[in-house]
Amino acid sequence: MGEAGAFVAELNDLQRLLDEFTKHGYTVYGPIVKGKSWVFSKVSSIRELDLNYTRTILPPKKLLHPVKNRIFDFKLNDGFEVFESCNVKNIVIFGIHPCDLRAIEKLDEFFSQHPEDVCYEARRKRTLIVGLTCNAVDEKCFCNSLGTGPEASTGFDILITQISDGFFLVEVGSSKGLDILKTLDLAEAKPEHFEAKRKHIEHLKSSFTKTADFEGLATLAKDKLDHKIWVETAERCLSCGNCSMVCPVCYCFDLYDSLDLTLKEGVRIMELDSCQLLEYAEVALGGNFRKERSQRLRHWLLCKFGAAGGSTYTSCIGCGRCIVYCPANIDLTEIAHVLKGG
Amino acid sequence: MSNPYIPRKAIIESIRDETPDIKTFRIKFKDGSFNFNPGQFVMVSMLGVGESAISISSHPEDADKFVELSIRKVGNVTGSIFKLKPGSTIGIRGPFGNGWPMDEASGKNLLIVGGGCGQGALRPLILDVLRHRDCYGRVEILYGARTPQDLMFKYEHDIWARVPDGCLLLTVDSIPTSVEWKYNLGVVTTLFGKTLIKPENSLALICGPEIMMHFAVRGLLSMGFKSDQIYLSMERRMKCGIGKCGHCQIGSKYVCKDGPVFTHSDLIHEPDKIL
Repeated sequence: MGEAGAFVAELNDLQRLLDEFTKHGYTVYGPIVKGKSWVFSKVSSIRELDLNYTRTILPPKKLLHPVKNRIFDFKLNDGFEVFESCNVKNIVIFGIHPCDLRAIEKLDEFFSQHPEDVCYEARRKRTLIVGLTCNAVDEKCFCNSLGTGPEASTGFDILITQISDGFFLVEVGSSKGLDILKTLDLAEAKPEHFEAKRKHIEHLKSSFTKTADFEGLATLAKDKLDHKIWVETAERCLSCGNCSMVCPVCYCFDLYDSLDLTLKEGVRIMELDSCQLLEYAEVALGGNFRKERSQRLRHWLLCKFGAAGGSTYTSCIGCGRCIVYCPANIDLTEIAHVLKGG
Repeated sequence: MSNPYIPRKAIIESIRDETPDIKTFRIKFKDGSFNFNPGQFVMVSMLGVGESAISISSHPEDADKFVELSIRKVGNVTGSIFKLKPGSTIGIRGPFGNGWPMDEASGKNLLIVGGGCGQGALRPLILDVLRHRDCYGRVEILYGARTPQDLMFKYEHDIWARVPDGCLLLTVDSIPTSVEWKYNLGVVTTLFGKTLIKPENSLALICGPEIMMHFAVRGLLSMGFKSDQIYLSMERRMKCGIGKCGHCQIGSKYVCKDGPVFTHSDLIHEPDKIL
């Protein structure tokens, strides 16, 4: 928590911070209002950002593990030639909430396992993370129950907390963050500012209305593969895949080739995929090991409870997106509750 | 750090017909050596079409001269591979997965049970038995296919059958009227009554359609084999081969990374399988 230093800033100082990022060649993305929700979008002014946002539709993974991502280009001749084309630029993701910070840490750990996903690593190395402590929680937030928020202690280069109207505590999380902040000549934070943050966190913690208990579920849920909750819930599920698309830790992807009109040149694409879709587990000759919607739903929920192949890398961080964006009102905390015998 | 999604180039040196829909492609790498364990697989890349997971069917000791892939034509990628001629270039990523438990198998009796094109993944193991006969106890090979024409590696069956302290038992599901067949008729589990191997100090190693493995496991368990003496090579949809894309998951296991070879006890509590 601010081990490498902390400062205080006003709104115009945050604008100077954005300008400094731009000067260093970074494109800045932050939460802006879109319809009745928010999205991470390119921004140049602090006034475009809504620092009071609750959650974006897509999590920051859309910038680090993009929905569609070109892995390499190729040319077909006698055989083939491959040209690497990881498209990487310097970006800042500004205003990431603690739950999403934890999600990025999980993605980092997952993609850096041998053999590393070099495109992810390259993007990640050129990304600066500016965390933002939430100003408020809503009725779908439950990070507090999972210990993934509302206070962030790691996973950021800079962490901003609004401690009073228009006044911010700015904590350093890395040397890259410090290098940028030093150029702004901000006043150093005093104990009273940390105390103000502590009170804000306390207030946040007391304002959660949603709770979840996933303790031990990774084992427990697998002992209950025949529980009726899977089939009952699947009767409502549309298998649309929204839950996994908006999940900040769902990393599953498809790989496919796309040829241009000459049929001589093409690209290999990595595209976000969802285990909720029928084709996901289909094998040659039409075999499918998760043909039933209840099997697919169960697989995703087991995954969020930490019992699938992604282990804790893909387990829930409590952002509430899958609940908000499920057209069938499926709520994984309610399923957890039933499985735990509640 | 190299990009694990980029395939290496290999040249097809020769192609031989195995069955009406299976061919063995002998390939050689253009860019250096290739090492693998029996039972590992590769992602074969047909740029512009896609990739398929294919088991290696040759022996690791031959890898500096050639590597063989026995491929059944079932879809777009394998269909386009079938159009290739000797001299063509294909892309290869891998080898991936764990392979057969060679250390564990050493000194033990082996009951090798294959079904259909699953025999491709078992062949490196069988070749290892032939080359290092002293390293194993009794070795019985049980192999079943739909019809006599669908049996792979027919040109080697005589050699497999002559392995000292062992046998080769063949079976088919049905016999077309014009075909002569002197061996067993019925699914592969009907051969279990003819085996001499007892569970003690033995391993069963199985590769075939999952429904066949389901019945094979039942048969072996009733013969007294323990769940952790039964090794299965699993098939699932694969995209990346390196434990990232998620497609091949069986519950908490990645088939590409934790498998494709699992003991029956590894999988017994996992969902979404026919085992």
